[in-house]
Amino acid sequence: MNPVLAGILAVLGLTLVKATPLIYAALGGVLSERSGVVNIGLEGIMIAGAFTAVVVSGLSGSPLVGALAGVLAGAGVAALLAFAATRLGVDQIVAGTGLNIAALAAAAFGLVLIYHQPGASREVPAFGHAGENMLILLAFLAAAALHVVLTRTPWGLHVRACGEDPSAAEAAGIDALRTRFTAVVIGGAIAALGGVYLSLAELDLYSDGMTAGRGFIALAAVIFGRWTPFGATGAALFFGFFAALQYSLQRAGVPSELMQALPYLAALVALAGFAGRVRAPAADGVPYVRQ
Amino acid sequence: MPYAFVRGRAFRDIVIVLVLVFGVGSIAMLLAHVSPLVAFGALFDGAFGTREEVAETLVQATNLLFPALGIAVAFRAGLFNIGAEGQLILGGFAAGWLGAQLPLPWYLAIPMVLVAGALAGGVWGAIPGFLRARFGANEVIATLMLNVVAVLLATYLVNGPLALPGSGASETPSLPHAAQLPDLVADSRLTWAFPIALGLAFVLRWMLQRTVFGYELRAAGDAPEAAKRAGIDLRRTAFVAMALSGAIAGLGGATIVAGELHRFNTGLSPGYGFIAIAVALVGNLDPLWIIVASLAFGVLQSGGIAMQAEAGVPRDVVALVTGLVIIALAGRRVVAARRST
Repeated sequence: MNPVLAGILAVLGLTLVKATPLIYAALGGVLSERSGVVNIGLEGIMIAGAFTAVVVSGLSGSPLVGALAGVLAGAGVAALLAFAATRLGVDQIVAGTGLNIAALAAAAFGLVLIYHQPGASREVPAFGHAGENMLILLAFLAAAALHVVLTRTPWGLHVRACGEDPSAAEAAGIDALRTRFTAVVIGGAIAALGGVYLSLAELDLYSDGMTAGRGFIALAAVIFGRWTPFGATGAALFFGFFAALQYSLQRAGVPSELMQALPYLAALVALAGFAGRVRAPAADGVPYVRQ
Repeated sequence: MPYAFVRGRAFRDIVIVLVLVFGVGSIAMLLAHVSPLVAFGALFDGAFGTREEVAETLVQATNLLFPALGIAVAFRAGLFNIGAEGQLILGGFAAGWLGAQLPLPWYLAIPMVLVAGALAGGVWGAIPGFLRARFGANEVIATLMLNVVAVLLATYLVNGPLALPGSGASETPSLPHAAQLPDLVADSRLTWAFPIALGLAFVLRWMLQRTVFGYELRAAGDAPEAAKRAGIDLRRTAFVAMALSGAIAGLGGATIVAGELHRFNTGLSPGYGFIAIAVALVGNLDPLWIIVASLAFGVLQSGGIAMQAEAGVPRDVVALVTGLVIIALAGRRVVAARRST
C-alpha cells in the first residue's frame, strides 16, 4: 500500500480508538445535562465502569458479563449523584467533584483488597479486536439512538422540558424529579461503557488513573458539541483526532502539552461564545425544588 | 429558583463528618482485615506521636488552609471556584521560577516570591472571573478546564521556554537560602507559612464581615437579585472575587515552594486544591472554622501515611472519606446555581 495512505489510515484508525471512550462519556453527559443535571462526575463514573468490569470479568471469566457489571456500576454511581441532585437539592457540581475523588480512591483501595497490589490489576479476559470494533461501532449507534430518543420520543421531550424549565414541565404533568433521575442514571450507564472500553477493549486490566481526565474532556465535548448527541460525537472525534496526531506532531516540534490542552481550550472558547452561539439548557445545573 | 446560599448548621455537619470518617473508615479498615482500633491508632499516632509528626500535621493543614480560604471567598460570592488546584500549581511555578533566580536579601526575596505566587494564581482565577463577568460563561466548567491547562502549562514552561540552567526534569533549580521561608520547628517542614495562613484567615474573616467589599461579596452570593437592585455591580464582584480566590490559592502554592520543597516541581500538590473543597465546606465557608477543618484534614493527611505503613491499610481510605464528605456536605446546601449577572 502507498505509505502516505497507510499513514492516514493509521491516524484515522487511532482517532476512532481514542474517540470512542470520549463519545460514550460525552453521550452520557448530554443526556444528563439535557435533563438539567450537570454531570461533573463523568470521570468517576468511567472509573467505576472500568474497574468493576475488570473485577467481574476476572471472576466470571466472561468479558461480556464484566462489561454488563461495569455498566451497572456506572448506573449505580450515577444514581447516587442523581439522588443527591434531584431529591436532596444539592449542588450537583460540588457533589460531582466529591464523586470523582471518591471513585478514584475506591478503585485504588479495591486494587489492594482484591489483587493485593497497588497500581494495577492483573490481566483478565478481555474483548480483543473483534469486540473492540463492535464497541466502536456501538458508540456511533448509541449517538444516533440518543438523537432519536431526545428528538422523536415523548420521554426525550420530557427530558428536554426538564432541562429547560422543570416548573413548566411539572405543570404539564411531567414528574421532573423522576425524569431527571432516570436521565442521569441512563447517562451514567452509557458513560460507564467508555470506562469499560478502556479497561476491557483497549487493554485487559485496570490501572490507577487510566481514565486520565477523559471524563473532563468528555464534558468539554458536550459543551463544544452544543449539548447534542451528534455535536458531542463530532467534538469527541475532533479531540480523538488530535490525541491520535499527538505523537506525530510532537516529532514535528509541536509541544505535546499544547495538544493535550486543546480540548480544554476549545471548550473555554465555546463557553465564552466565541465559536458561534452556544446555549446550555436553560435549567442546566439548577436544582429543582417542588414548591 | 432558590437563590439563597443556605449555609449548613455547623453542628449537624460535624456529626455527619465524624460518622463518615469513623464509620466508612472503620468499614474500609475491616475490609482490609485490620482492626479499626489498630488502624486509627496508627493514624493518630502518625499524626501526633512525635514533635516532628505534629509539625508535619500542621504542614498538611497549612497546605489545605490556603486553597480552602480561597475557595471560601469564591463560594461566599456564589461562585464555584473548583480551580484552586490549578491556581495553586501556577502560583507555585511563578514562585519557584522567580525565586530560583533572585539574588536578593531575604526581606526582599521572600515577599517577592510570595507576591509572584499570588499574582499568578490571581491571574488564573481572574480568567474564569472575566469569562463569567463578560460572557456569562459558567465558572465551574471554566475552572475545571483551567485546572488541567494549568498543569500542562506549568509542565511546558518549566521544561521549555522558561527552563533555567541547572534545573531537573519538570522542576526548577533550588531556591537560594534567602528566598526560603524560615523554619518554625527545627528538622521539620513547618515554616512561617503556617502563621501566615492563620493570619490570612483572620484578615479574610474581618474582610467578609466588616468591610464594604466583603458585604457586597456576600450579598452577591446570598441574594444576587437583591444585590443587583441595591446597586452592587455583580460583574465586578464576580471578577474580583475570582481573582482574589485564585490569588489566595496561588499564595498557598508559593508557600509550598518557598517553605517545603525549596523548588517548584510539577507534582507539588497531591490534590490539595480538591481536598480543600471538603475543608472549606466542613468549615462552613467561615475562615475561622476553616482553620479548625484544615487541622482535622491535616491529621487525616499526615496520619494516613502512617496508617498505610504501620497498619497496612491503603491510605486511599482518606481520599475516599474526603470525597464522601464533599458529597454529603454539598447535599446539605441549596445554592444559587445561576446568578443573574
